Amino acid sequence: MAAISPQHTFEGDLSVQPMVISGGNMLSCVEPDYKAFIPGNSLRRMSRILKMGLTVALRCLQDSGIEMPGAIVTGTGKGSLQDTEKFIKEIRDYKETALNPTPFIQSTYNAVNGLIALQQKCTEYNNTFVHRGFSFENALLDSMLLLHEGKENVLAGAFEEITAEHFYIKSRIGHWKAENISNDTLYRHFSPGTISGEGAAFFMLGPAATPNSYAELAGLKMLYKPTAEKLAASLQAFISHEEIDLVLTGRNADTNYDQYYQVVDQQLSGIQQLPFKHLCGEYDTAGAFALWLGAQLLKTQQLPAQWFPMLQQPPAKLRNILIYNNFFGEQHVFMLLKGI
Amino acid sequence: MITAIGDDVAGNLHSLRSQQSGLGFTNHLDTIYKTILPVAEVKHTTPQLREMAGVAGIDGYTRTTLLGLIAMREALAQAGITNVQDEPTGFINASTVGGMCDTENVYFDIMDPGKTGDFLKFIDTLDCADCTQRIADTIGFTEHIATISTACSSSANALMYGARLIKAGITRRIICGGTEALTRFTLNGFNSLKNIDKRPCRPFDQQRNGLNLGEGAAYMVLESESLVRENNSKVIAELSGYANTNEAFHPTSPSPEGDGAFAAMRDALAMSGHTIADVQYVNVHGTATLSNDVSEGKALQRLFGTMVPLFSSTKPFTGHTLAAAGAIEAIYAVLAIQNQVVFPNLNFTEGMEELYITPETQLREGYPVHHVISNSFGFGGNNASLVISKYEG
Repeated sequence: MAAISPQHTFEGDLSVQPMVISGGNMLSCVEPDYKAFIPGNSLRRMSRILKMGLTVALRCLQDSGIEMPGAIVTGTGKGSLQDTEKFIKEIRDYKETALNPTPFIQSTYNAVNGLIALQQKCTEYNNTFVHRGFSFENALLDSMLLLHEGKENVLAGAFEEITAEHFYIKSRIGHWKAENISNDTLYRHFSPGTISGEGAAFFMLGPAATPNSYAELAGLKMLYKPTAEKLAASLQAFISHEEIDLVLTGRNADTNYDQYYQVVDQQLSGIQQLPFKHLCGEYDTAGAFALWLGAQLLKTQQLPAQWFPMLQQPPAKLRNILIYNNFFGEQHVFMLLKGI
Repeated sequence: MITAIGDDVAGNLHSLRSQQSGLGFTNHLDTIYKTILPVAEVKHTTPQLREMAGVAGIDGYTRTTLLGLIAMREALAQAGITNVQDEPTGFINASTVGGMCDTENVYFDIMDPGKTGDFLKFIDTLDCADCTQRIADTIGFTEHIATISTACSSSANALMYGARLIKAGITRRIICGGTEALTRFTLNGFNSLKNIDKRPCRPFDQQRNGLNLGEGAAYMVLESESLVRENNSKVIAELSGYANTNEAFHPTSPSPEGDGAFAAMRDALAMSGHTIADVQYVNVHGTATLSNDVSEGKALQRLFGTMVPLFSSTKPFTGHTLAAAGAIEAIYAVLAIQNQVVFPNLNFTEGMEELYITPETQLREGYPVHHVISNSFGFGGNNASLVISKYEG
């Protein structure tokens, strides 16, 4: 697996990476040197999310030792915002004449997928989900179906970017906090709205554990606009026979939707919870960051203390991790991760 | 379903049979190409669509959502479903640009801190999930929900995903399809690629010069066999095979020999358990772009050799409806089977020099159609083929 995020997640030893702190309610990715992955002449033509998506996918393939995946399935809520914005503006500025087609082509939501397939000459199954907080999770479900149907492996991933323009647009409907905060103080600012983020993460999924495996994805559940009762009942059913050592929670200090996290608190009282949105910010496919983080913790059996200043005592063991996330109260997701 | 040639399935069938194309000039799109580039527009204003969708007077529905809602209501009624809560029912939608049809008109107002007003309610319609959720919330879907975007193959992939969720036992009923409204964004996008013909498109013709865009929506109710038996549902056709492949050739062009199209049709047919001799009709992707028709034609010749069945593109009727095309044409495949009819490929006069096959140009009534291949190919090299078969019970 591999991840580009607002933290130093792409390379190196996590345990020595400090938490990246930024203000302005908007977290941006720590981007690697793409030249190590993509030739310069291609790079110049590619917009930011294409570079990020392709690079993380290639890094993931490297990490897994599998060059040719059996399928490529991704999720993205917004695709290439930069290209979409650019094409809308060029239509206006050039009055619909003599337009450069590149931003239009790259704005299509499946552009990253197509690029990965092209790069790896992968002619197999290829699909892209574009459903807010269910984008990545449907990609995971599709991948699990593919493995069940006999595929040997599936490259599954997610990618999302935030632009200044889109940040402003979403601020007009109250997505972000009115007060200007930095990510390390997120949970001290319990108020309407949260902080925005972005990131890309890819995973090589297989039907059985290998010596390289990070973790087992043992469960996945999506709930669309559930009532509090349905959320509680589904959570109970989801973890009924499992002993959960740690919960990675999508809690984001947004009072508009905190009631859902309170439901989960009640159901999971006594189980340690750690939030992750101060590390990656809020975005459609933040669930992919959580999965990456959970799998990383299970493999290394270490919680990077500098990333989790709220951690009082590390859990006695790290075997089963539950992830709970919701995207602005609409799409709710549980994932169960198990150590290998 | 709803397209430029009909507000429902019966209307579409009538237009196909009377060879009435939906192409013309736009009444609703604000573009300099208004009288230059033909499009296949649904012949109703957005307020009229709101009424037809049963949400008259309620704001915030984009044209994309309204087209989808109209098609969804018809699909449910046709399947005899009055309450989607009677049986857990999933919804897989497809969209290429979401609510762009409406947001592109207010985008610069949204961006302007000095402006405020009604347009702010369109902020949430910027993405592809908005139309899906609006339809879901209006109808009352609360189960599995997803939106797929693989360019022009989006709704074929929605049908495929739905079928696979049923096969895996995750759900017994799921409604799949796609919705697409005309936008300045896509019109200029395809035009900047020099992919749009100023005349009505001529699929598989030597003189073809690009596609015409269209709008519409279509949904199909998929049920597992166990649910069909339990409810005694009336089955109108069987989705007997499907395949998704990638060209891995070029971001916007298929491989010249049609490798991906060939593999998609071959694999879908293999899954259906039928052979090339069993296929009576192929509803081709047939966009009439220079590259698609060569590539798809070569793939047909490779798969069927000298036994290429009747084939036609219905894009000259509906235009290319992008995310909705796969589902619209899947319904046309069902209509071909139900009515034993093959629809003509309009505007064809001269065979392509690269191919030895030519499309069917006549309406063929009383033609025995049992198995149809429906193709949808898109940007990013995304290919999808479906095999739709007569249900034998």
